[in-house]
Amino acid sequence: MSRPEIGAKLKAFQRKEVERILSSCTQCGKCFEACPMTPYSKAPATDGKAVVPGVLAVLRGEQGSPEALGWLAVCMRSGVCVPACPENVDPKMMMRLARMTALGGRGLPKQIEAKEDPDYFDRIRAFAKLQLSEEEQKDWT
Amino acid sequence: MHPDKERVTFWYGCNVLRHGDIIHACLDILRAVGFDPAPVGGPDYCCGTVKDANQVAAGGMATRTVNKLNAKQRERVVAWCPSCHSHMSDFMDKANERQFGMTYLVELLHSHRERLAPLLVNRVPMRVVLHKHVGFQDLVPVNRMVPDLLRMIPGVEVLESDYVTPGYMCTSFTAVPRALDDILANTVSTVRASGADAVVCVFHQCFRELIGLEAAGAIQVHNYIQLLARSMGLPYEDEYKAWKKAGDGATAMIGEKRIAAVGVQFYERAVLPELKKLPRV
Repeated sequence: MSRPEIGAKLKAFQRKEVERILSSCTQCGKCFEACPMTPYSKAPATDGKAVVPGVLAVLRGEQGSPEALGWLAVCMRSGVCVPACPENVDPKMMMRLARMTALGGRGLPKQIEAKEDPDYFDRIRAFAKLQLSEEEQKDWT
Repeated sequence: MHPDKERVTFWYGCNVLRHGDIIHACLDILRAVGFDPAPVGGPDYCCGTVKDANQVAAGGMATRTVNKLNAKQRERVVAWCPSCHSHMSDFMDKANERQFGMTYLVELLHSHRERLAPLLVNRVPMRVVLHKHVGFQDLVPVNRMVPDLLRMIPGVEVLESDYVTPGYMCTSFTAVPRALDDILANTVSTVRASGADAVVCVFHQCFRELIGLEAAGAIQVHNYIQLLARSMGLPYEDEYKAWKKAGDGATAMIGEKRIAAVGVQFYERAVLPELKKLPRV
C-alpha cells in the first residue's frame, strides 16, 4: 500500500464521519450538559446550546468559540455524552474529530495547544530495557 | 491441562512496559487458563492514538500495526491497553483490513472464570475498592467484571464505593492538572472512608498515576493482575512501585548495568524525574 493511500483511507473515514455529524446534530446541547469535564474548561459555560455550535464550526474548518475550544481541550473521552444524545450522533466521535482538527491534526490551522513530550517513545523504549530481557525485547517489541 | 491451547496474540501496548511484572503475569495467567499467547507491544506496535495532533502519522502507525498483527496469523488479538482496544474499533479498523478478532483481556478472563478459579490458591487478605472510570464501559464493562475476578481470590473483600472518575483512564488527565488533583484527592478519601486497605486499578495508565499515592504514604495501590498473580503464587516483583518509593534511591536499585543500557544521560533527564515525581496529597 502506498503512503498516500494509507492516509487517504483514514482521511476518507474521518471526512464521512464529519459530514454525518454535521448533518445529524441538532445542537440541543445535551452532550455538553452530560459531560463531567465541563467545570475544568478554561472558558466555562453553562448553556450547551451555545457551546455545541462552536464545536461544529471547528469540524467545518472554521474558528471555534473560546467556550467550544475550552471544552475540546478537556475532553477525556468519558463517553457519557453518547447515551445523552437524542439523535444518536455519537458526540464522543464528534468531540474526538473536533479535537483532532483543533490540534491541527487534520491539516487545518491549530486552535488549541497540546503538550508534546519529545521523549514519549524513547522513555517507553527505556522502560522496556529496564523491565524486559534482551531476548524479550527482540521478540516482543 | 488444556491440550488444544488457542493461539492468540497478546497486544500489551506501549506504556505498560513500565510494569514488566504485569506483562509477565498476564502471559502466565493466559497460559494457565488455556491460551498460547504471542506477546507484542512497544512503540513499533503503537495504535497511533497518541497522535491526535498529526493524523498522517496516526494513520501510518495504525496501518503498520494492523499489518503486523495480521502477519501474526492468529485468529484473535487479546488487548491489554484500553486505549489500543478502543482505538482499534474507533479508527484503526475503519481504514485498514483487520484479519483477526479483538478481545479485551478482562473479558477473556471473565469468560474463563471456571478455569481461573482453581488456580487462585493463595490467600490475599485485603479489603479493596475498585478505581472506576465512567468511560470504556460501553466497550467492556470492566467496573462489573473486575470485581467478579477479585472476589474469586481467597481473602480479598471488594467494598462498594460510589466514586466514579470522569474519562476512561488517568494518564490523559495530566493535561488537566486540576482534574487529576481532584481524582487523587477523591481516591484517597474514598479509600479511607470505606475502610479499605487499598485501591485496585484496572488499567496501567491509572496504576501509574495512583502509585504515587502509595509512594507518598497515602494509600496502598495495586493492579488487579497483581492480586491474581499473588494468589496464583506467581513471583513477579513490582519494580516500578519500588523505584517510585525509593526516589533517588531508585538508581541504586536499578543498577549500573541496566542504566547503561538506557544511557546515563537519558536516564537522568527523562526516567529518574518520572520516578521521583510524587503527587500533592
